[in-house]
Amino acid sequence: MKVRSLRLRLSLILLVVAPLVWALATVGAYFQTRHEINLLFDTQQTLFARQLLSANLVTHAVPAPELPKTKRLIRGGEHGGFDDDALSFAVFDTHGQLLFSGGDGKHFPADPAQRGFVVADAKHDEPWRLFYLPAPDGQHTVVVGQKANYRRELVWEVVGVQLAPWLAALPLLLLVLVWAIGRELAPLRAAAHQLAVRRADDASPLEVERLASEVAPLVTALNQLFARTAATLARERRFTADAAHELRSPLAALKVQAEVAQLAERDPVARQRALGNLSAGIDRATRLLEQLLALSRLDPLSGLADAQPVRWQRVADAACIDVAPLAEQRGVVVERAGEAAAALPLSGDETLLTLLLRNLLDNALRYGPPGSQVVLSLTPTEIRVEDEGPGIAPDDLPRVRERFFRPPGQSEPGSGLGLSIVERVADLHGLALTLANRPGGGLMASLTRR
Amino acid sequence: MRILVVEDDSLIGDGLQVGLAQLGFAVDWFRTGRDGLAALSAAPYDAVVLDLGLPGIDGLDILAAWRRAGQQVPVLVLTARDALADRVGGLDAGADDYLTKPFALAEVAARLRALIRRSHGQGDPLLCHGKLVFDPTARRATLDGVALDLTARELALLELLLAGKGRVQPRALLEEKLYGWGEEIGSNAVEVHIHHLRKKLGGDFIRTVRGLGYTLGDET
Repeated sequence: MKVRSLRLRLSLILLVVAPLVWALATVGAYFQTRHEINLLFDTQQTLFARQLLSANLVTHAVPAPELPKTKRLIRGGEHGGFDDDALSFAVFDTHGQLLFSGGDGKHFPADPAQRGFVVADAKHDEPWRLFYLPAPDGQHTVVVGQKANYRRELVWEVVGVQLAPWLAALPLLLLVLVWAIGRELAPLRAAAHQLAVRRADDASPLEVERLASEVAPLVTALNQLFARTAATLARERRFTADAAHELRSPLAALKVQAEVAQLAERDPVARQRALGNLSAGIDRATRLLEQLLALSRLDPLSGLADAQPVRWQRVADAACIDVAPLAEQRGVVVERAGEAAAALPLSGDETLLTLLLRNLLDNALRYGPPGSQVVLSLTPTEIRVEDEGPGIAPDDLPRVRERFFRPPGQSEPGSGLGLSIVERVADLHGLALTLANRPGGGLMASLTRR
Repeated sequence: MRILVVEDDSLIGDGLQVGLAQLGFAVDWFRTGRDGLAALSAAPYDAVVLDLGLPGIDGLDILAAWRRAGQQVPVLVLTARDALADRVGGLDAGADDYLTKPFALAEVAARLRALIRRSHGQGDPLLCHGKLVFDPTARRATLDGVALDLTARELALLELLLAGKGRVQPRALLEEKLYGWGEEIGSNAVEVHIHHLRKKLGGDFIRTVRGLGYTLGDET
């Protein structure tokens, strides 16, 4: 995972975007300002030209005196810092003879045919904006001009005055941004610290103050994960502890029977009996271990990795073959009913379903009296196993699914895990396990779609 | 010595019954808490082996019920639970000793003997009377240093008499302590064993108190 600083990224974005926006704004402002200033000065030039014409200065033409700077004429008279020659004028006759001028007007090109605004080079070959206004009688032409540069400088000045503060504010803005991001990220850093020093089995929720709503879902999800992890951990621990305890009893039985066999060295009958018990005890411990392993493999599964359409015929055959030795030993017959091909359409794992069915049949066989029968029914809506045993006391019915729970007064060896395995496999297949005592005696275990 | 075993596990219960019998105890075994609870007052037991992990009724509840009823008999608790809290809980509920599964049969027997000895206020593991020394662990008796050839039942009867030294023990009580439930007992079984013991130990070793029972003769 490539790690990049959010603060750095946001700062870079601002650093690139802000000048770009600023430049665009400058361009816009420049054109807008130039337009306004042109409009303003053009109006001024036009007015000035008209006034010159209407003042009939031409008839009183006298050689223009060279005026000193305004501030020489009036103390403090100069306001705005512009040269007096910002606006100059000239009056020509029809032959282009300069009659009269002000400022740098004497340098204006005399072109009696010219009308309106033109940009032309005048004094020192600088571009000037000139306004030619002929008198109504056509006897002379008034030209009012202004240095083009003067206008451009003014535009830049106005634009600069507007935009300079923004440019100056940019570093400040960046600083504020960096600080603000840091401040907003502080809760995340606090959360990271909490996570770093957290104990692996700590289930308490992460407490973060001033959490941004964008980050809150992450913390909520983390807290939910902690709760789930803690629950799993607790379940595993309980299971391990239970398993260890449950293994003690079969071990105790093995040890006791082994000692009895040793003590009975002069009593062959007692010795044989103890050895038989020892063997039965080993079978029992093996079965318990197998059940524990099956359950520990089933427990972490959250779903079926490789679900295929279930062929109940195969599942039922495999389960029946598995329990055949027990059935023979117990003298109980397993009867099959229903059409396997049409049984409960399901997508699932046949190996697990065989394990499920084997456990149900195993239970039924162990508790059915000799000579009785166990019926395995495969119908389109349910899979059912019925026995003719004593059933389960109503008080114990809700508890028999608990791990390691065995109803009181059991003489049959059992791990108390069989139904847990059945239920777990059923869960994975979206099936519900129902256990009920049959009206005629015996237990009915039924699997239906949830 | 008659022992009550309350254990739901068939292989452990069977092993305790057979094994402790081979070690010289008379053993009654009950599989459920309910039966075990009632059994204690039905016979003069010298000690109880109680499994805590009983289905239906918890072993500790049985223990508490016995103690409430004033039963003083020593109880050895067997359990698969080995956490400190469980051990402390068991002892606090009135257990006299505690063994965690899996356990050795020999240890159960040794602890039972120690519990019974203590309940009789006796410290020495060897039971002596005059020149007779009885070793309950080895199931061996010597008279004046010479090993005696006694049957298991004779040894058990001798142990009862030695443990109850100084008291007169009724024939019926001795019989109950010698035989568990369901064992075949001849009508004069105790008298027959007393007779055999007298032959092997000397006629004065056991004194008959007419109408009351038996006690040990004077130490010589």
